[in-house]
Amino acid sequence: MPPAPGNTASQAITVGSMTKKFGHREVLHGISFGIEKGSVFGVIGPNGAGKTTVMRCLLDIIRPTSGTSTVLGENPRAAGPSLRRRIGYLPGELFLEGRITGRKLLSHYADISGPVRPGRVDSLAERLGLDLDRHTRKLSKGNKQKLGLVQAFMHDPELLVLDEPTSGLDPLVQQEFLAMVREAQANGQTVFLSSHVLSEVQQAADEVAILRDGRIVTVATVDSLRQGAVRHVRFTASGISTADAGALLARVPGIGHLEVLPAGDGVELSATLGGAIQPLLRVLAGLELTELVLEEPDLEESVLELYGTIRGNGPGTADVNGNGRRRRRRGHGA
Amino acid sequence: MKRPLPLFRRAFVDSWHSTLGWAAGLAATIFIYLPLYPSIGGSPEMQGVMDAFPPEMIKALNYDQITSGPGYTQATMFGLIGFLLMTIASVAWGAAAVGGDEESGQLELTLAHGVTRTQVVLERALAILLRVLLLVTLVFVLILLLTDSAQLNIRPENLLGTSVLFAGLTMLSGSTALFLGAVTGRKTYGVAAGAGVGVLGYVFNAVGRQSKEVDWLLNLSPYSWAYENNPVANGADWAAAGWLWGISAALVALSAVALSRRDVGT
Repeated sequence: MPPAPGNTASQAITVGSMTKKFGHREVLHGISFGIEKGSVFGVIGPNGAGKTTVMRCLLDIIRPTSGTSTVLGENPRAAGPSLRRRIGYLPGELFLEGRITGRKLLSHYADISGPVRPGRVDSLAERLGLDLDRHTRKLSKGNKQKLGLVQAFMHDPELLVLDEPTSGLDPLVQQEFLAMVREAQANGQTVFLSSHVLSEVQQAADEVAILRDGRIVTVATVDSLRQGAVRHVRFTASGISTADAGALLARVPGIGHLEVLPAGDGVELSATLGGAIQPLLRVLAGLELTELVLEEPDLEESVLELYGTIRGNGPGTADVNGNGRRRRRRGHGA
Repeated sequence: MKRPLPLFRRAFVDSWHSTLGWAAGLAATIFIYLPLYPSIGGSPEMQGVMDAFPPEMIKALNYDQITSGPGYTQATMFGLIGFLLMTIASVAWGAAAVGGDEESGQLELTLAHGVTRTQVVLERALAILLRVLLLVTLVFVLILLLTDSAQLNIRPENLLGTSVLFAGLTMLSGSTALFLGAVTGRKTYGVAAGAGVGVLGYVFNAVGRQSKEVDWLLNLSPYSWAYENNPVANGADWAAAGWLWGISAALVALSAVALSRRDVGT
């Protein structure tokens, strides 16, 4: 169940039971969440989960079919231009064409948004390594994205709504972007960003909402995701049958994806562990281990597990489609 | 302090290349067609040539008055090549203003800023209007300059009235394209509708002039409203001008309403 929206006065964005239908197809099935002022909130989910739809609703580009939303204390449907001047928006698919330089285009957007401090555009462009005097249609995808970011940040809006902000950016610029997000937060600005990759969001966000098929699977802090994250465990043991080893491990709370293969006179076993380590160790202590690898938790995978929770009927069945990811990183853990 | 009319300025300035291109095209046709009048329309042989053509064709092409200077200007410039060029320009601008911008994905970002949708439609319609007025003014001035040398014998007040009708006729196609673009978010529908008004207006006029049985078609033809009484020779029908401009204005207003009431970019 999604958490009920909290105290709206302290929230930059409050969404309650928002649904959106395109024709007969409902793409948002009553989602609710709140974003505290001054926080960085990430929404992740696979393509088509509804991330862009939510963001467009908050900017009144499209209108929700039902539900409520409050942005910076106002109803986006009714508030009009004055509210949108307080928001910086980066669309998920950015199209900038036309026979116009980046500088002129930004000057146009400055005319229709909040006031831009003198020198602000140049300093942002310099940070991101963007040449403002080139024609926009000749810019590469990454450079267009930089222009889009400058456009969103330049008037120091109270709220930044950034749809897939790091798409097309090289890793160095991504780091610069993260620094800009942290500065915005230090500045008291609220940031709402989306991604289909958790690793992009986890570095920047305090809280993450996971959206799948138009529903919020969970809203969690990055820390709690980390705690609930899944580890991979692998070992070989001698002097035990596959059936016995399987039965033994299956009793450990949080074990999933159990695979047991015969190896010599013993077994080779791999599994995931979603719970505490101690119960596993107690079981392992009774075995003749010849090798043991217990990996660091993989946040990405724990999120995929959550996607799977909706699709299947529990963590253990998350891999019903057979697309389970087994990333084996040697040299980690013990 | 913010500079006024940001969307209008962007729409107007962004397209100055295209405006200049259309201006060059119109000027070239004027300089090619009109100086030929003394040797074509005004020559004594022309009447003989005209008599040899089937009268239906003469009527369809509006060549019935072609042996007079005003009739020649009406038939060639305002009725045919100028009408064609201006309609194409206006339809292209109208369809691009909202439908094209939305289809290319750029309207979404504009609307995420401090503007209303009504403002977007009105400022962009204003940019189309200004470009149409500039081009029609150019046509007016050039024809006026050529009147003596090409022996066209056109009265300036009639030329002015015709220019008002010409601009209104052009705006009607352009605002139709704007409207369909604003309703559907698709440039193609805007182009089809705007071109449809221009082409059907022309065809209904050509057919409607053939006989009494089908002259009701003329009532459906904006082209006929504007040009039926040969305004270059006889002066403008101001009621027709009122209809052309009034319907155009109404279509712009409806475009604003349509865009304000729907989702963008879906």
